[in-house]
Amino acid sequence: MLSSIFGALGGLILAPLAGGFLSGVDRRLTARLQSRVGPPLLQPFYDVFKLFGKESKVTNAWLVFSAYVYLMSSAFSLFIFFMGGDLLLLFFVLTIGAVFQVVGAICVPSPYSQVGAQRELLLMVAYEPILILVFVGFAMCTGSFMIADVFKLDSPLLLKMPLLFLALGYALTIKLRKSPFDFSASHHGHQELVRGVQTEYSGPYLALIEIGHWLDLVLILGLCALFWHTSVIGMLILVMASLFTEILIDNITARLTWQWMVQKQSLLLGMGLALVNLLWLYVA
Amino acid sequence: MMNFLVFCCVVLPFVVGATLYCVQSNSLRTTLVPVTVLVMAMAAVGLGAGGPFHMEARHFLGLPLDGLFTLLDFVLLFYILVLGWNLRSRLVMGMTALQMIGLMYLKGVLAGHDPLITGFAPDGLSLIMVIIISVVGGLITIYGLGYMDIHEEHQHLRTSRQPRFFAIILCFLGAMNGLVLCNNMSWMFFFWEVTTLCSFFLISHDNTEEARKNAFRALWMNVLGGLAFVSAMLFIQKTLGTLSMEIVLQKMTALDIKSTAMLLPFAFLCLAAFTKSAQVPFESWLCGAMVAPTPVSALLHSATMVKAGTYLLLRMAPAFADTTMSTIVALFGAFTFVGTCMLAVSQSNAKKILAYSTIANLGLIITCVGINTAASMVAATMIIVYHSVSKGLLFMCVGSIEQRIGSRDIEDMRGLYNVMPRTATITAIGIFTMLLPPFGMLIGKWMAIEAIARATQAMTPILFFIALGSAFTVFFWARWAGILISSANLHEYPTSGLQRPTVLFALRTLCGVALLFSFLSPMVLKDFIGPSVAGVYARLNLRAEGFIPGAGFTGVEEYSWIYLLFIVLALGAWLAWRVTRRVPEKAHSLPYFSGLAVKQGNEIGFRGPMNVFEPARVSNYYLPQYFGEEKITRAVDVISTAFLIVLVGGLL
Amino acid sequence: MGFVENIIKKSRLKSPWIVHFDCGSCNGCDIEVLACLTPLYDVERFGVVNTGNPKHADVLLVTGTVNHRNQHVLRQIYDQMPGPKAVVSIGACNLSGGVFKDSYNILNGAHTVIPVDVFVPGCPPKPEAIIDGVVTALNVLGAKMGLVPAPAPARMPGDEDVLQGAESA
Repeated sequence: MLSSIFGALGGLILAPLAGGFLSGVDRRLTARLQSRVGPPLLQPFYDVFKLFGKESKVTNAWLVFSAYVYLMSSAFSLFIFFMGGDLLLLFFVLTIGAVFQVVGAICVPSPYSQVGAQRELLLMVAYEPILILVFVGFAMCTGSFMIADVFKLDSPLLLKMPLLFLALGYALTIKLRKSPFDFSASHHGHQELVRGVQTEYSGPYLALIEIGHWLDLVLILGLCALFWHTSVIGMLILVMASLFTEILIDNITARLTWQWMVQKQSLLLGMGLALVNLLWLYVA
Repeated sequence: MMNFLVFCCVVLPFVVGATLYCVQSNSLRTTLVPVTVLVMAMAAVGLGAGGPFHMEARHFLGLPLDGLFTLLDFVLLFYILVLGWNLRSRLVMGMTALQMIGLMYLKGVLAGHDPLITGFAPDGLSLIMVIIISVVGGLITIYGLGYMDIHEEHQHLRTSRQPRFFAIILCFLGAMNGLVLCNNMSWMFFFWEVTTLCSFFLISHDNTEEARKNAFRALWMNVLGGLAFVSAMLFIQKTLGTLSMEIVLQKMTALDIKSTAMLLPFAFLCLAAFTKSAQVPFESWLCGAMVAPTPVSALLHSATMVKAGTYLLLRMAPAFADTTMSTIVALFGAFTFVGTCMLAVSQSNAKKILAYSTIANLGLIITCVGINTAASMVAATMIIVYHSVSKGLLFMCVGSIEQRIGSRDIEDMRGLYNVMPRTATITAIGIFTMLLPPFGMLIGKWMAIEAIARATQAMTPILFFIALGSAFTVFFWARWAGILISSANLHEYPTSGLQRPTVLFALRTLCGVALLFSFLSPMVLKDFIGPSVAGVYARLNLRAEGFIPGAGFTGVEEYSWIYLLFIVLALGAWLAWRVTRRVPEKAHSLPYFSGLAVKQGNEIGFRGPMNVFEPARVSNYYLPQYFGEEKITRAVDVISTAFLIVLVGGLL
Repeated sequence: MGFVENIIKKSRLKSPWIVHFDCGSCNGCDIEVLACLTPLYDVERFGVVNTGNPKHADVLLVTGTVNHRNQHVLRQIYDQMPGPKAVVSIGACNLSGGVFKDSYNILNGAHTVIPVDVFVPGCPPKPEAIIDGVVTALNVLGAKMGLVPAPAPARMPGDEDVLQGAESA
């Protein structure tokens, strides 16, 4: 028990490094796809360190609270993941962060961050049901919601739930703020609402949000890895393929309006895929 | 001893209520009400500590109790009949008359010569309910003392109507306690109808046109439920030959195959419970009930009334376990959950949001009842307990806010943090207890999802509904919490002395209870709810399959583990809070508004033409084009009616 | 602590996020600023990100003529940037008012409103010059932190005569 706790804590310390590095890769790849050179691989770390060194400027102190709670919930859900804990608990803890990010944005009377927060809420409506259904798929295959139980299976989950994997892809694209689902805040230069939900987070607090985002990235890729738990190479390939696909989609799609996203793309297609797969699992 | 405790919980409030009504003295009320509430709460805790018990209770003051209740039943029904006459409502009169005929047939022909039934035989669930009713209901009553003063000031009444108000509220609490403690269904029916009548009086308390209209709607819908209750009693007496809930449950669970005739009364009981719990298509009475003064809505939504329906279902659930009917109930509950969550998204009226969220949570409880395993029962009980606490708190908060800012629209609550920082923070905490881990409501929801996923029947569509509904839940709660604490200042400090002491006391206590109680949720689960459900299943010789409350927390059946998680979360929040309070005042900056931001009062805007201040206005997405009441209420009602027809008609 | 502070100081030089404010330019300078972000110049090589939000930015790029009305906006945007920060004034109009210098309705340059660190002259300046301006601004920041030697003192608009005199002498 103790060793697994220490293992999870170690993973938690390594995760920001991995997450930062992966988002560096992301920025670099994105630049290459746009035939640019792009920033150094360590650029995300420079950004975050710089942000930590900045003066704090806040409108409402609740925003500071929200930023810390967001980071805490991301770290905590990652900890649960490394511990092989309960998927539903992980999901709920992740929700704390998402909710507080929105609360922090709404508590400042700035039109940009408020509209961004509303959009973020719509995004949550779009991805949360999919995530729950995917986790239910896990439970149907393994008999419990425990991540540790996935590793007791003999064959990769991808074979049993390919459609759920696609549905998860939808949810993850939204969670990672990738185009075409990046309308609440965007990591690229193409803003329409300044920086949407993150407009008012600045300096060290933006750095906290950024680190939280790295942790989310690691968590999400970890979830993808669960679909091919039988071999390490399989996991790596699956993770790399997912990441590359996300980046590719990010670069070749235009931003959707929320009506499109919530109604047609996410709810109909994503949940449809998830449902079909669940029924299939149920019958098989 | 038990006699005395039951007396304190059930009869005492009626006696005190009658006294208050007769004496009409302000000073008496302000002392007697808190004392009564305290006695009730202590008695309830005493009952709870003693565990399930049997009490014969044949006589009261030398009168035979059974006969007394029969008499009271008829007096009550006659009173409702007269009420129906006064309201010129053939509907109410007709249904009441039918109830009287049914009851006469039941008492006169069917049950004339039956041996006497054990009067009070509460199980663990009943005792949990008694504690909730007495403690949460009691706090709401104390809150009412301060609230009603201000309420009547606003109304400019010449003579105070408070004696009547508190008399009815106390009777209401007594009736609820009676309802959950009774074993004899015909006694329970009496209390059931008393709650109907009390809610009618309370909703119409302000005597406006709208209040009367909504009270009438509540009356006819609940009288319909009463009719279903009487029908259920008739069928149960006919098929099983007794009205004792205990024996009914024992007989039903002993059956291998449950025939249609056996299940029919339970379908009627479900119908009765659905009306009481305001499930779709009966949701309109609960939404209409918000015209009443806030303590009434708080009572109706949290501890009393709507919980009576779910209590009845939970108590009776083992009787119809493993049947198609049970699955339909689960589907119906899940549909209510998602339907009302969608409706809540389109609302900006705080009380309406709370109302729809109540109905949604009751739907979730009913889903758990329909799933009908020990694990789902635990989940349902968990939700009942924590929902009562949080919802009571939220209603009281909205009441206080409304008295201060004169509006219950959440758009008007922007910048509330600036006006009443304490209440705004308490309200936000109340919202988080409804929504986030580690608070009890979420633990309940989590266990519900686990229980549903483990169940076999119709799991996929139910989970689909629940998953969708949960997402909408986040949508309408999170934005409200953000609005409440929004401010253009870095820190806000409370101005003291503007709230009534009773109001503040009730708010703070319930907020503390909500927080502390949530933190203890694994213990509550392990020491109270788990054993109470396990006890029921053991007494009925049922296999409690998949019954590992809390196993899903970590996979390890050690509670110390869960506490570790909780402590980490609490510690993190506390540290974040400390950092937050330490942000220096010089770090304040205006929000980004294209470099034009100007602050006036608590509003941000810009200087328009002629140097006039133009505030920036932002509003939430309410998506009325998709989820507006006028868009989907009809569809929700039609589909749910179809469910009800399938539920009852399928058995016929 | 010293180690972390050192990292933070160095990171500041590697991650200049910019916000671009147009005080009413003819858009010539603005197009040149945006050209820096295109694949041809790709300022992201230096970690530059165009944030469009003063609360996230380290370097303020100002273009166009500052006038009596928009000086408040410029002032507020500058105030909303958390320190340490630098300001780059771009183009003739922003440096001194350009062809509108001394008109009744304008102020003669952004430096009359906020402290400017680097001036990039031109009508419009080339993207290379703007990139050079941002890098120089970083050196100003670095010099303040004692990391690099201070760049040559900025020439204020209006200093031309003095400097010309010095060169010829």
